[in-house]
Amino acid sequence: MTFYECGLHSLPEGFDSPSRLALAAKRLGYDGIIICNHSGQENLFLPEACRNINEIEIAFGIEVMASNPRSLSSRVSSARGRYPFLAVHGGTDEINRAACESADVDVLLHPTESRRGLSTVAAKSAQRNQVAIGFDLGPMIRLRGTARSRWLETLGRDLSLARKFNLGMMITTGPWSHLDMRGPREIMAMAEMAGFEPDEIRDGLALPARILELNRKNWKGPGVELL
Amino acid sequence: MRSRLPVLRQRKRYMALEIESEEPVSEKDLAQEIHSAQAALFGDLGTSRNRLSLICFNGRFGLLRCNYLCISETRAVLATIRAIASTRAAIRIKGTSGTIRAATEKYIPQLSLIGAEKDGRRIELEEVSGCIAHIRGSEIDLIPDDRYRKGSDTRYLGLTSFDLGGCDDADGTADGLR
Repeated sequence: MTFYECGLHSLPEGFDSPSRLALAAKRLGYDGIIICNHSGQENLFLPEACRNINEIEIAFGIEVMASNPRSLSSRVSSARGRYPFLAVHGGTDEINRAACESADVDVLLHPTESRRGLSTVAAKSAQRNQVAIGFDLGPMIRLRGTARSRWLETLGRDLSLARKFNLGMMITTGPWSHLDMRGPREIMAMAEMAGFEPDEIRDGLALPARILELNRKNWKGPGVELL
Repeated sequence: MRSRLPVLRQRKRYMALEIESEEPVSEKDLAQEIHSAQAALFGDLGTSRNRLSLICFNGRFGLLRCNYLCISETRAVLATIRAIASTRAAIRIKGTSGTIRAATEKYIPQLSLIGAEKDGRRIELEEVSGCIAHIRGSEIDLIPDDRYRKGSDTRYLGLTSFDLGGCDDADGTADGLR
């Protein structure tokens, strides 16, 4: 089994340097991490220090954040060539839908941030454009009481939509520091409580590795690879 | 209380824990936080089916007793703990065993009370500056000069010796315990 944590934020946005996150992930049993700072904060603090850390793959991606669909599409197209992993920070209906309609997007993170969650139209577009849905379990750790039960309800709705349209699922805890990181088995336990099936969880933790591998190939067009 | 028949007794598992926290935490606070997290996630009914009990805690490593059918639930409870008595912390599960002795021998190192090295030196880099709070192996906790950062209930910034141009033998086991 391969385990990847894909929604990490490091300095200057988060609280830890990339090498500290890599050390913590290695100790927790991950095979790789993808550090995805939000757009505007993508100049990482000393990323070259990660070269000293062996036996774990460290990749750098981006989580594009935009206030409207037009700026989202321009930011996505400018970032696509520079990063092997491109996520979009969802939330509102318009952003969720615009992200799902773009074939350049690898994953839509936090679609459940608004109480409405993912719409059927967005889910259909995500299926057509092979955009995965990133489920952030961070609120399960941070929230308590009514807020958490409301979040779990929205998550359940998005999960059933993702199953219906056979969308790729990715699971993360969206850590901002090493104290926010959880090991793969802890994530499995939490996701199981939240309503995921065991094979969905395993696929969700392995999907970032497959996306990275695909994006690193030299594609000349849809379905045409230069060997 | 009358002792129950051995065949009717609930079987138990012992979970070895390691606490990573910004400041030292007490056994009482840890036990309280575990029970409150369990009550919040599973309610009274779930709590009654899986009675968690903190057997021992030495400041860094501890043993937690749980029902043998509820290991996954217990892992989920421990994963939802984010702070202990308002100190940012994370609970790492080292392993699970059927007896206290086996769990202690397998997962709790004998030199487990090696504390974090206190330091007062400063780091001045272009992007980050502040005082060193703790050093554990190649991991460094830094008190930043600009403390009021967005969403900052995390007190320290996490760096490594490699960020400061340190040695090349990082393997994540620099504290010599694993």
